[in-house]
Amino acid sequence: MAKSTETLDAIGLAIMWDRLVALTDEIVSTLVRTSFSTIVRESYDLTVVVVDAQGRLMAQGSISAPPFIGTAPLTMKHVLKRFPPETLAPGDVIITNDPWQGTGHLFDVNVVRPVFRKGRIAGFTLSITHLPDIGGVGFGASAAEIYHEGLRIPLRKIVSAGVLDESLLDLIRANVRVPEQVIGDVMANLTANEVGGRMLTEFMDEYGQDDLGTLSAAIRGQAERVTRERIRAMRPGRYTNRIEIEGIDAPITLACAVEIAGDGVTIDFTGTGACVPRGINVPYCYTNAMSLYSMKCLTSWDLPNNEGATAPIKVIAPEGCILNAQPPFPTGGRHSTGHFVSPLVFGAMKDAAPDLVQSDTGMIDILNFRGMRRDGGEFSTMWFSAGGFGAVNGHDGPNVTPGPSNMAVVPVEIWEDVTGTLIERKTLLADSAGAGEARGGLGQEVVFRNDTGHPLTVFSMANRTEFPPLGFHEGRDGARRAHMINGGPIHPKGQNVLAPGDRLTLRQPGGGGFGDPKRRKRDKIARDVAEGFVSREAALRDYSVVIADDLGEAAE
Amino acid sequence: MTYRIGVDIGGTFTDFALFDEAGGRLSVHKQLTTPDDPSRAVLDGIGTLIGSAGLRLDAVEAVSHGTTLVTNALIERKGARAGMLVTAGFRDVLDMGLERRYDVFDLRLAFPDPLIARRLRREVKERLRHDGTVIEPLDLNGTRTAVTELIERERIEALAICFLHSFTNPAHEDAARRLVEAEFPALLVSTSADIFPNAREFERWTTTTMNAYVQPMAERYLARLESGLGASGFRGRLYIMTSSGGTLEASAARHYPVRMLESGPAAGALMSAHHGRTLGLAQLLSFDMGGTTAKGALVRNGAPLKAYELEVGRVHEFKRGSGLPARIPVIDMIEIGAGGGSIAEIDSRGLIRVGPRSAGARPGPACYALGGTAATLTDANLVLGYLGAGSFLGGAMALDLPAAERAIAESVATPLGLDLLRAASGIHAIVNEDVARAFRIHASERGFDYRQCSMVAFGGSGPLHALGIAKKLKVPRVVFPMGAGVMSAFGLLVSPLGFETARTKRIALSDLSPTIMAENFAPLIAQTRGFLERAEVPSDRIAIHLKLDMRYVGQGYEIEVPLPRSDDWAALTVALPALFRTEYAKTFPLGVLDEPLEILGWKAEAVGPEPSLGERLKIEAVGRAGTATLKGRRRAYFAEAGDYVDCPVYDRYALKPGETIAGPALVEERESTVVIGPHDLVQVDAALNLIAELKG
Repeated sequence: MAKSTETLDAIGLAIMWDRLVALTDEIVSTLVRTSFSTIVRESYDLTVVVVDAQGRLMAQGSISAPPFIGTAPLTMKHVLKRFPPETLAPGDVIITNDPWQGTGHLFDVNVVRPVFRKGRIAGFTLSITHLPDIGGVGFGASAAEIYHEGLRIPLRKIVSAGVLDESLLDLIRANVRVPEQVIGDVMANLTANEVGGRMLTEFMDEYGQDDLGTLSAAIRGQAERVTRERIRAMRPGRYTNRIEIEGIDAPITLACAVEIAGDGVTIDFTGTGACVPRGINVPYCYTNAMSLYSMKCLTSWDLPNNEGATAPIKVIAPEGCILNAQPPFPTGGRHSTGHFVSPLVFGAMKDAAPDLVQSDTGMIDILNFRGMRRDGGEFSTMWFSAGGFGAVNGHDGPNVTPGPSNMAVVPVEIWEDVTGTLIERKTLLADSAGAGEARGGLGQEVVFRNDTGHPLTVFSMANRTEFPPLGFHEGRDGARRAHMINGGPIHPKGQNVLAPGDRLTLRQPGGGGFGDPKRRKRDKIARDVAEGFVSREAALRDYSVVIADDLGEAAE
Repeated sequence: MTYRIGVDIGGTFTDFALFDEAGGRLSVHKQLTTPDDPSRAVLDGIGTLIGSAGLRLDAVEAVSHGTTLVTNALIERKGARAGMLVTAGFRDVLDMGLERRYDVFDLRLAFPDPLIARRLRREVKERLRHDGTVIEPLDLNGTRTAVTELIERERIEALAICFLHSFTNPAHEDAARRLVEAEFPALLVSTSADIFPNAREFERWTTTTMNAYVQPMAERYLARLESGLGASGFRGRLYIMTSSGGTLEASAARHYPVRMLESGPAAGALMSAHHGRTLGLAQLLSFDMGGTTAKGALVRNGAPLKAYELEVGRVHEFKRGSGLPARIPVIDMIEIGAGGGSIAEIDSRGLIRVGPRSAGARPGPACYALGGTAATLTDANLVLGYLGAGSFLGGAMALDLPAAERAIAESVATPLGLDLLRAASGIHAIVNEDVARAFRIHASERGFDYRQCSMVAFGGSGPLHALGIAKKLKVPRVVFPMGAGVMSAFGLLVSPLGFETARTKRIALSDLSPTIMAENFAPLIAQTRGFLERAEVPSDRIAIHLKLDMRYVGQGYEIEVPLPRSDDWAALTVALPALFRTEYAKTFPLGVLDEPLEILGWKAEAVGPEPSLGERLKIEAVGRAGTATLKGRRRAYFAEAGDYVDCPVYDRYALKPGETIAGPALVEERESTVVIGPHDLVQVDAALNLIAELKG
C-alpha cells in the first residue's frame, strides 16, 4: 500500500491518536495472553504506555489501574537519566521494580524498551505488571523496613542488544516464592514490549511518521489545551483540606493545599504527618500519580490519558512525610494510604469545582483469608468488598462500587467453592448512604460463617472505621465501616482467628451525600423508600419527608 | 419439491427469503416492520412472497425466523412485570452487580437498573452448600406465600427462580417450580439452573431475569405467529433462530426467549461462514454494517467463533461493562457504534468523532430531508459520491445533496476550519479506522490472525466501507455476496437446528475417570439431543459436539477445549492434558506450565444437518435487473487520487459471471453500493458474488 503522510488536522489527528491508543490496547492484550499469573489476567493490575523519544507519555492502554496513569512519566525520567539515548542500542530492554523509580512498591515490575528507527530512538514502550510475589514478608504492611519487603531491582538492562541477562533472571528466580509464575510474567513483559515495538514501527510506516515527536506534541497539545480550559473554568484560589485516616496505632493526618491560578493547579501536601515503621508509606511517585488521577477525574475524564492532560498540574510533598516516604521506610501497602489522596483532593476542591468533585466513597475492604477447606486442602485468598460510591452534584452514587481502586468482588458461588466457608448473607445496608440532594451509594453487610471445620485466619487493613465517608455541601456522611466476630466488634486492622462455627460480619460504609437533603426531589425519596434503600424513619429524619404506606405518596 | 422461508425482523424492515430447493432459486422480499404487532408484517410478507412465486403456503416445509423483538424489549424496557424468588440473604445480588467500575475516570458512572425491581424480589428459605448438599431444605410454605403476594399485590406475569448453587444441584429450584406450576398455572416460570447452569450468581440470575422479563411477550408473539401461519395454510415447521446460530422449534424457543437475543446478526454471520465454505475460504472476517451499528464476527475453519456472554443495553455508549450481562451461547460478535445514521460531531478533544450517537431512521441523516440536521455517515457518503442522490434504495428514496453538504459544513467543517471535502472524506475514513480497530483488538484478544483471511461484507453500509477497512487490516480479499441487505434472511435458510448447554462443575483432572466423564456429559447430551429429537431430526443425523473449560489449578483463566468426536471415554480422558496444552498454546504462546489441571465447565451442543442451498444458487427478484450493465457515471472521491474521479456506475443485477471491473467504479444494488477504489480489481464469480483481490 502506498505510504501517506497524515496531516495533523482534526481528522488526521483523531485517526492517528485513536489508532495509537488501540495499539497500546493490543500490547496490553499480548501482555495478558502471555502472562502466567492470575493477577495479570483476572485483575488487569497492569498498564502499557507509549512515550516519545523524550520520554513523554503520549498514549496508554484504556484499561489501567488508576495509579499507573501517573507513574510512567517519572519512571521514564529515571530511565533516561540512568541510560541516556547514546547508551541505548536496538534490542535493549530496561527493568526495575524500585518503589521510588517505579510505582511505589516492589510488587510492580516496570519494563522499558526503546523503539529504533533509522538509527535513532523514535520512542519507547513501557509496561507495568503486578508480580505474584517478590520475596520478603509477602503482600501486606507488616514490614518495618523496605529490606523486609523483598527483592529490589535497580534500573538496569535485562536485555542488551537482544541478549538476555540470565544472571539477573537467576537472581530473581532465587528470591521469590513462585519463581515459574514470576519469571513467566517478566518474560511476558519482554514479549509485549517487543511486539509493541514492531507495531509502533508499522504504525509510523503506515502514517508516514519519521518518529513519534510530531504526533506526541499534537496529542499532548490538544489534551493540554482542553485541560487548561477546564481548569480556567474553576474558581481560582487556594483551597485547603485536612483529613484523618486510620493508622496502625494512631490516626494519620493528611493535608493539602490546592492552588488554582489561571490555567494551572498546584497541589501541596505540606502539613501531612510523618512516615511510620509499617508498609503503608507512600513514595512521591505514587502520591503524584494519585493526585494526577484525581485531577484527571475532574478535568479530563473523557480524554485518553497522556502527559498533556497532566502538564498543568504540579504536585509537591515534603520529603519525609508519609506522602513522600524515603528509603528505608517500607511501602508494600502504599495504596492503603495513597488512595486517600483522592478524597483529600476532592474535599479541597469542593468549592473550586462544585459540579465536578465527588463526595467521599466508602472505598473497598481488602481481607486475606487463610485456612483449610473441609477436605484438608489449604487456601489463602483475598476478599474485596466495596462500600457505596460518593455522590456528585445531581448524581446519586451507585451502590457498592469501589473507588479509587477497582477490584471486583468474588462471586459468592466461587468464594464458597474455593474456601469452603459459607456466606450467610450479602445485603445492601438501608440508610447507610449519606443523605443529600444527591445521595451516596449504599454500603453492604456480608456475613461469613466458618464452616470449614478448621480455624480460619483473617487479616484486614480496614479504613473508614473511625472516619466516615464525608458528605459535601451539606450532604451527610455515609455510615462507617465495621468488622465483627459473633456480633462483637474487632479491631479493623490486624489478624483474627475464626473458630469453626464463628461468624464474621463486615459492614461496608455508604458513600457521602452531596448537597442539602432538603432539596432532594420527592419522587426520588419515594422511590428510595419503595425500594427499601431508605427507611421511612430516615426519610423523615434526613429529608423531612413523610412517605405514606401507599407507594409514592409523600407529604411534608 | 420443497420450499423454505427465512424471515428476519429488523428495526425498520422485515426481510424475507424463499428458497426453492428443486430449482436452486432464491427470491427475496422486504417490507416495513410493524412494531405494534411484528407478526402482521411477517404474515403479510410471507403471503406476498408466496403469491409472487405462484405457490401456496402448504408447499413450504419450514419457516425459519429471526427477530430483534427480544433485544428491543430489553433495551426499551418493554417487557412484562416479573417477580423473583431468591435464596434468603441474597435479594440484593442484582443491585450489587460485579462491584466493579467500567470506567475509572468517570465519577458520574451509572449502571443499568435490574430488570426486576427490588420490591418484586422475595427471599425464600433454602440453602445448598457449594457441593450441592442441602444445608437448609426449601421452605415450600414460604415459597407459596411469596408467590401469592407477588401475584396478588404486584400482579406479576412471570417469575424468575434463582437459588445459590442451583447449577450444581437444581433440586430446590425444581421443587419451587413444581409448586408454582401446580398452584399458579398462569405464571410463566424461569429457573436459573435451566436457563444456563453456570457459576457466578449475578450473571446467571440476571440472565434468568431477562428470560422471565421477555417471556410473556415472546409467548404471545409466537402464539400469534403460529396461529396466523396455520390459518394461512402452513403445515410445515416453524424454527426460531437463536443467538448461537442454531434454530429451535417454536415450542422449545418459547421456554428460552433470552436465547433469541441478537439472532438476526447471528444469522448474518452464519451466512458469511456459508459463503466462505462455498468459496473454500475457511478463515473470515464477517463484516455487517447497517443504519446504526456495525457488527463483526471471526470465522475459523468455516465456523463463526462462539462466546458465552453478551451485554445488553449498555447505558454508557458502547462501554464494556455498562450493560446487563446475558450468559448464553452466542456467536462472538463485535458491536461498533458506527452505521449510516451515525452522527459526526466534534468531541471533547476538539476532533471529529463519528457515532455512537445515531440519527436513526427518523429524522435520519440530513439528506433524507425528514427534518434531520445532524451530519451523518450517510451524508458524507453522499457528498463523496459513493451514494447516488437518485439511486438510493433502488431509486425509491431521493437524497438531498445540498442538505448533506450543509449539515457537514455547519456541524463539522466550518467549526474545525476544514473544507467540505476533507470533512466528508474524514468522516468516511474515521469510520473505516473505527471498524478496523475493533476487528484488530477483538482478533488480538482471541489470538486470531486475520492477515491471511478474507472479508465478507454486507449490510446497507458494509460494501461502501469494506475495501477501505480491508486495506487498513491488510486483508487480501473481500467478498461481496449478492443481497447485501437481506443476508440475515439468507442465513436463516442455512441455520441447522441446534441447542447448546454448558454447566459449571469443577473436577480436578487427577480425580477424573472415564466413568465420571461419561456421567457428567450424559445429562447434557440427553438434554440437547432431546430438543432435536422432538423436532424429529433422525438420531443418526444429530451431531454432538463436546467441549470442556479447563485451566491450571488455581489460575483464573479458562481455556475451551473441544473434544474429538468419540464415545471412547477412556481415550478422551487420557488425551485431555495434551488437548488442553494444544488449545492453551494457541491463546497463550508462552504459557505452558507443568502444573495440575482441572475442569471447570462442561459443554454439549447438538446440531442437526445444515440445510443446503445447493451448488449453483440463483438469486431472483432481489431488485429489478436493468438491461444495461453500465447504468451511468458519477463523480466519486478517492483519497488515493486526492480528488473526485469520474466513475462508471454498474448495475449489480446485470453483471454476468466472469466479468471484471477495474476501479475506480461503483456497483449499485438495491440496498447498497460497492465502492471500488482506483487500484482495485473486482471479479464476478459464478454465484454472482463480487470478489476483490487486494494487492499487498
